[in-house]
Amino acid sequence: MNRWLIVVGREYKTRVRKRAFILSTLLGPFLMVGIVVVMAFLAISTNETDSKVLIVDHNNLLTYNLPGEEGQRLPSCPECFPERDFLEYRFASKALDTQEFLESDFTAMVELDDGIMQSAKALLKYESAAPTKVKSAVKRDLGEAIERLRVQNESALDYEAYKKLKVRIGLVTQNIITEDKNIENRSGIGFVFSIFMFMFIMIYGMHVMRGVIEEKSNRIVEVVISVVKPELLMGAKMAGIGLVGLTQIAVWSLLSWLLFLGFGFYAESSGLLLNLMNEQETQLAATDFMTFVESDSDLGVLLQVNWGIMLGWGAFFYIAGFALYSSLFAAIGAAVEQESDAQYLLLPATLPLMFSYIVNIFIIESPDSTLATFCSFFPFTSPITMMVKLSVGVPWWHVVLSALILIMTVYLMVKMAGKIYRTGILMYGKKPSLREMSRWLMYKNK
Amino acid sequence: MNKTPSLKLHDVTKRYGSHVALGGVSLEVPQGSIFGLLGPNGAGKTTLIRMVAGITGPDEGEISFFGESLSSEHISSLGYLPEERGLYKNMRVGEQVMYFARLRGMGKQEAEKETKEWFERLEVDGWWDKEVADLSKGMAQKIQFIVAVLHKPKFLILDEPLSGFDPINASRIRTEINRLRDEFGTTILLSTHDMSSVDELCDHVALIDNGIKILEGPVNTLRENARAGRIELKFRGNLISFTAALGAGAILHEALSHGDNIHDVVLGLPSSIPIEEFLKWVTSVVDVLSCTPKVVSMDEVFLRAVKTASNTEPS
Repeated sequence: MNRWLIVVGREYKTRVRKRAFILSTLLGPFLMVGIVVVMAFLAISTNETDSKVLIVDHNNLLTYNLPGEEGQRLPSCPECFPERDFLEYRFASKALDTQEFLESDFTAMVELDDGIMQSAKALLKYESAAPTKVKSAVKRDLGEAIERLRVQNESALDYEAYKKLKVRIGLVTQNIITEDKNIENRSGIGFVFSIFMFMFIMIYGMHVMRGVIEEKSNRIVEVVISVVKPELLMGAKMAGIGLVGLTQIAVWSLLSWLLFLGFGFYAESSGLLLNLMNEQETQLAATDFMTFVESDSDLGVLLQVNWGIMLGWGAFFYIAGFALYSSLFAAIGAAVEQESDAQYLLLPATLPLMFSYIVNIFIIESPDSTLATFCSFFPFTSPITMMVKLSVGVPWWHVVLSALILIMTVYLMVKMAGKIYRTGILMYGKKPSLREMSRWLMYKNK
Repeated sequence: MNKTPSLKLHDVTKRYGSHVALGGVSLEVPQGSIFGLLGPNGAGKTTLIRMVAGITGPDEGEISFFGESLSSEHISSLGYLPEERGLYKNMRVGEQVMYFARLRGMGKQEAEKETKEWFERLEVDGWWDKEVADLSKGMAQKIQFIVAVLHKPKFLILDEPLSGFDPINASRIRTEINRLRDEFGTTILLSTHDMSSVDELCDHVALIDNGIKILEGPVNTLRENARAGRIELKFRGNLISFTAALGAGAILHEALSHGDNIHDVVLGLPSSIPIEEFLKWVTSVVDVLSCTPKVVSMDEVFLRAVKTASNTEPS
């Protein structure tokens, strides 16, 4: 067997069989989903305590007195204040004073008078802040009630006719050249890709550096490079560790896909899907999970993204970006004898990576800005930035050019790193300065 | 026997920046010899060894290996135990040995068989599945030795192979080094500071100092040269009349008098006077108890050569 492959095999095997790797690889997606579920659960559970809201209608705009029952008022438009499982309304024409309110079981008290017809404002009093969900329900219900009143007072239409006339404009955006629609939503997916890109390049790049330092500091490297040329050893280490990263990415992608499908299946069979749709007041007849995802304004983007392009180019930019940064890290590892000595060299090396990660937040906002275009060509930032650009659509020649620039830079970088590596790996004692390391680049390759 | 030398260095020079680590060194390592590479710290031994091991190449000069120019094709014929040595901490012992065996070109089954044999021979069987982190220094040294020799290299480089071993294990390793040469005809390049192991093991040596070879040859010849005709004599009699009897024929280097008129002397005898004749001559004056050629240790050879070299060195 080829010596190089034997080394790659060792680098790969000794890492993927570690318990920490197996656990994080298998549990990663579950953990992420778990976090989302826990967050959602927490959000739901705070809403779950039933809220009771008292509407104080000072001028009897929306309510009338039930004959015979003093003080107990009823809404003139009962359908405006529907029964909800998290919200219950009571009506009155006189506000409770503070003491009374505190002693009552009301979550909030909403006071309104004639002014609401013009100002469209009501006063909500509370002891502890009412959940957003309750507030928005109150806003919607009150809004509809006032709207009905206005329509009735100021037009000849009945409310149902008015409702039919009402329009709400949504903007469907389209790129005039690519004819792509609603691309902004997709940049979120690109952002997620770039986060993972950053994470994997960083984590596994550091693995390469640590591996080099380990071999150097325990002196095993001397035996290894008597068999495998230093540049090849460095390359094999990068390849082996890069593969470990790819393995993790592959397993995570697969598990996430399975989780997604699994959830879909569960949602379909348990009737959860119908609930979800009802809450959205969607009038879809189909109870198919995919149709649901497609129709949902937030989830629909999952099906609009070209996963083939994202995953294919994602793999390329991961491999190239990893090769670029890990060769840099390998050279740093070879120059020092322990990890703590590497800090002063690591900062300048990781700066562009950090930069592209932070700048990404602006790039999502305007993926066609000069900054975004520059970052998508500059090889030290392109692996990260290109993920966002790809998700929103980018001319093919743009990607190919960026890829070519990256490949050329990787080639030069690996060559230079190899030279620093082969000299540094056998140097013990003092910490080399950057000037000294640049001199190593001039040493003859013998 | 006019065999091609296993290793031949011709005018080899290596520089690091402006520092000359080796300046035009030539030497020949005969096949099947245990060749001692000696020299003080910083003399250039490690540089030379690294070139032979294929880690670096010479800036000038040539290295030939069994008559061919040294190249990566010779990797499986070379074994290397560096002075500063380690093992991978995240691998098990057996797995580690197998890894290096396969890097040196051994098949899996062959490597496994050989590893088991060596484990038995050095009494480390049962360690196959041990974590390297659990090994003591001596244990790790044994594994490193096995890694260097497992693939039966024609040429074995051992840099300070005995450092770190207790006397019992050191002698076991010494036995193994001899066995490799005797049974398999392995040529061994042994770099060491430990002169007693040179005396015991090496048949050839070269001495390097400041990047220059100052001495090379078979151990016996070097010793004989360093002896310079000196003999040790023990006699009973009068030292003064003995000295007088010597006259200008021989030089008295040292003398140690014991009681009972017994003396130990070291004499320098010119090669023109055969020892039998000299003995006949002195027995007429004193009572000779014993007469042996002066034994010169390699330590002495080493010190003398370094001293001479530094005296003659232009500064």
